[in-house]
Amino acid sequence: MKDDLDREGRDMEVASYLSLLDPASSDPNYWMRFQSRVLRDAAPELARRRVMADLTVGDVLTAWSRTLVPAAVLAAAMAGLIAVRSPAVSGPVAVEMGVEELLVLGIDDDPIPVALESDESAATLAFAGDRF
Amino acid sequence: MSFSSTETPGDGELVRRARRGDERALGLLVQKYQRAAYAVAYSVTGRHEDSEDAAQEAFLVALERLDECRNPERFAGWLMTIVRNRSRNLVRREVLRETDQVPVSASSGTPGPDKEAELSELHDVLRQALGALPEVQRQVVLLHDLEGWKHREIADRIGLPSGTVRSHLHFARRALRDALGGHEAIEDRRRREG
Repeated sequence: MKDDLDREGRDMEVASYLSLLDPASSDPNYWMRFQSRVLRDAAPELARRRVMADLTVGDVLTAWSRTLVPAAVLAAAMAGLIAVRSPAVSGPVAVEMGVEELLVLGIDDDPIPVALESDESAATLAFAGDRF
Repeated sequence: MSFSSTETPGDGELVRRARRGDERALGLLVQKYQRAAYAVAYSVTGRHEDSEDAAQEAFLVALERLDECRNPERFAGWLMTIVRNRSRNLVRREVLRETDQVPVSASSGTPGPDKEAELSELHDVLRQALGALPEVQRQVVLLHDLEGWKHREIADRIGLPSGTVRSHLHFARRALRDALGGHEAIEDRRRREG
């Protein structure tokens, strides 16, 4: 059987059979209604996408800060409350110390700086004594 | 955002606009692919109402997942995959129905009882003939000979080599001609249509 093809290469005999399946063959407005139904059902999603597309960077930052700022304030308030209500520290108390004191801390004998703290005349005598 | 009447944006542009919620862009995509979506759905379900449901659902799912369409220029192939999957899911879920063989829309044109009976018979014959084909051959022959898609477009959109598409088309046509060629109701209709 020779194929009866149209310019687009469609087999006209087969196409005529298959055209029965096209709902528009008996209802010319079928595809318009189909499209309308899809668009109607898609309306909420389209609206959501429009809202998302309209958001600027500023909007996003504002929305973000609306959440972040109250959260930060709340966290700070809670931290303050905990600090105020917590009992006094009972362990070792920090005492202000200088570096020199820290260096000799725990050494029983007089450290060198202490040994050298003799008066000047004694030092001189000792020195003179060493010479003779 | 709108298009002029002479403007024919490509799929990529339409997808990008639909992603931003452009109703007209979505409308054009639906208009462009609704027949093919229905044909692919029909090739899987073999029933008008199921095909209609699957095709409509597929457009809505496609819109929801539009950001996942990595190559908007190839929207058609991506959409047809969704249509096939929705249709297969529908077939799996569906309890076989017995009475919805004639499209509801077909009866809305108020044909007389004889005409309605004839249409019903024609559909039954055609459905049986198509039902005897493998799903992929049904898809190929519907997209080519009903929707007018080219071999290359079909190959690209359903992910088959072009030669395979030609081969499926050849066998599908031959099977349909063999099954329908001598059928009285079909031949009557063809003669009337000239």
